[in-house]
Amino acid sequence: MFQFLPYLLKGFWGHRARAMLTVSGTAVALFVFCFVSAVQDGLLRLTQDKQAQRTLVVFQENRFCPTSSRLPQDYTKHIAELPSVTEVIPIKVVTNNCRASLDAIVFQGMPAEKLRSSRELNLTAGNWSAFEGADDGALVGQAVANRRNLSVGQKFTINEVTVLVTGIFQSSTTAEENLIYTHLDFLQRARGQNSVGTVTQMEVHLLDDADVDSVAAAIDTHYRGGPVATTTRTKGMFQADTLADLAELIGFIHYLGYACVGLVLALVATTTVMSVQDRIKEHGVLQTIGLRPNRIFRLIVSESTLLSTAGGLLGIGAGLVFLSFTGLAVAAEGVTISFRPSMDLAITGAIVSVVVGVLAGIIPGIQAARTKIVTALRQAG
Amino acid sequence: MTLVQVKNVTKQYANGEETITPLNEVNLEVHQGDFLSLMGASGSGKSTLLNMIAGIDEVTSGEILVEGTDITKLSRGKLADWRASHVGYIFQTHNLIPVLTAYENVEMPLLLLKMSAAERRKRVEIALEAVNLTDRATHYPRQMSGGQEQRVGIARAIVASPTLVVADEPTGNLDDETTEQILELLQRVNNELGMTLLMVTHDIEASEIAKRQIRLERGKLTERQAGSAKSTVTAA
Repeated sequence: MFQFLPYLLKGFWGHRARAMLTVSGTAVALFVFCFVSAVQDGLLRLTQDKQAQRTLVVFQENRFCPTSSRLPQDYTKHIAELPSVTEVIPIKVVTNNCRASLDAIVFQGMPAEKLRSSRELNLTAGNWSAFEGADDGALVGQAVANRRNLSVGQKFTINEVTVLVTGIFQSSTTAEENLIYTHLDFLQRARGQNSVGTVTQMEVHLLDDADVDSVAAAIDTHYRGGPVATTTRTKGMFQADTLADLAELIGFIHYLGYACVGLVLALVATTTVMSVQDRIKEHGVLQTIGLRPNRIFRLIVSESTLLSTAGGLLGIGAGLVFLSFTGLAVAAEGVTISFRPSMDLAITGAIVSVVVGVLAGIIPGIQAARTKIVTALRQAG
Repeated sequence: MTLVQVKNVTKQYANGEETITPLNEVNLEVHQGDFLSLMGASGSGKSTLLNMIAGIDEVTSGEILVEGTDITKLSRGKLADWRASHVGYIFQTHNLIPVLTAYENVEMPLLLLKMSAAERRKRVEIALEAVNLTDRATHYPRQMSGGQEQRVGIARAIVASPTLVVADEPTGNLDDETTEQILELLQRVNNELGMTLLMVTHDIEASEIAKRQIRLERGKLTERQAGSAKSTVTAA
């Protein structure tokens, strides 16, 4: 089949306007597909991550936005004594926007030593000692830093909270790169917060063999009659509940991804049908000189696959570059979903392009292969 | 030696409710090295007979034996393989692939046969030289005259050294001077390369260059003996 590759490529060049339009249409559709898939991936990573299933988040009962959850910080002592609990991290969350936003800034204040031990942060600029030594020090996620053009040494103010950027980090958990970590007591004392002694939530780490549900139930039961009742869920469930509205929307966007695949299929199939109809006589000539009907079929399927794959790779490439450089994320109620490129995304997009290309060529290929040679040679052109 | 045997071949096709029978129980023998012209009025079935011998049209009944193989019994795939190695087809309208150069058009039939790239290159060069178009090898069909295009078509038909070369009105679209050049070239293909040629034409002068001239009228073949060619034509 490869010996006919020059014939295929020259065919594209001979009809370059049509080929380029098809490739660019496919590229746009795959770009959107890539973007939609990245949004879905982000949500899945957030809710189905293994650590998210083994970590509990304690929040004030019937509260949603971080500003409305105020748990007494001393709850940490009792929770830490429960069986199977290895660590409890008190966290103060401050955000500039509780509603869904593409540019929400989320501060998480926690004790520096807990931050260092519980998060896998890779500092790309600044250092830990500078953070630990500055009361208003902040470690800024790479995505926020890119979006807000922040660098080490800069002061940064949101909602009367002013921090000094002492480090910029990358994380294996991509959603983390949309956070700004500060010292807990700094955030509790920050202007306008007035929340010394209270935290927004507590993160409870458990032993590997712990019964997650019974620990959660034990916490909630203990505080049901206390000053502030709690709702305790796995981190994954907490994030899924918090992002429920967004998740519904993202579920709907899922169909947009399918629509893109359908669009590519229709586009490439239309181009291939047009190309086959334009060249009925040419295919008759090729069969006359000895090409088998199934080889004609394969040539046409190869043609549609090449067009679709070329467009797909362009679209996926553009999508991955766009996602890499924009650091886009959507946040709601202090929880962020990051849209990040991944190898899985690239492979899925490439497979979709190839499969759609093959499917788009099947019917035109069968038509061309079944046309009688004499009938084909009688066609004008 | 008999190369092609057409035995009791009938061709029918439907035209609305009417059944047309352009060929009815036709018999013909073509020998190795023959140059045979087939004449007849438009719609007489001469191109149909040529196409059936070339294996691109189906018979309604009868047999066509080429070197002992009944090509009417071959599947579409097998027939394609057979055409690739046994038939060279010269079209009236050249039918070159527009996106390929003269060289690539001539090379196309060889891509279907097992041979090295070097052997392929050698054969294409020889074929282009035979039609005196070596200097036009890199030209595209749109950059050539009708006569040059037809010469490329002839080079493509002979490049694989086929058992049989068929030509369907090869001079039908050409001016007198070019027609003469093409006919001379076809004679050389027959005389110098020893290829068996079967040519359909409606031009009496063109038919006279052939060793045997056959006329198809009302589904029947009649032969006008010429030169020393031996053939058997039986009208049904």
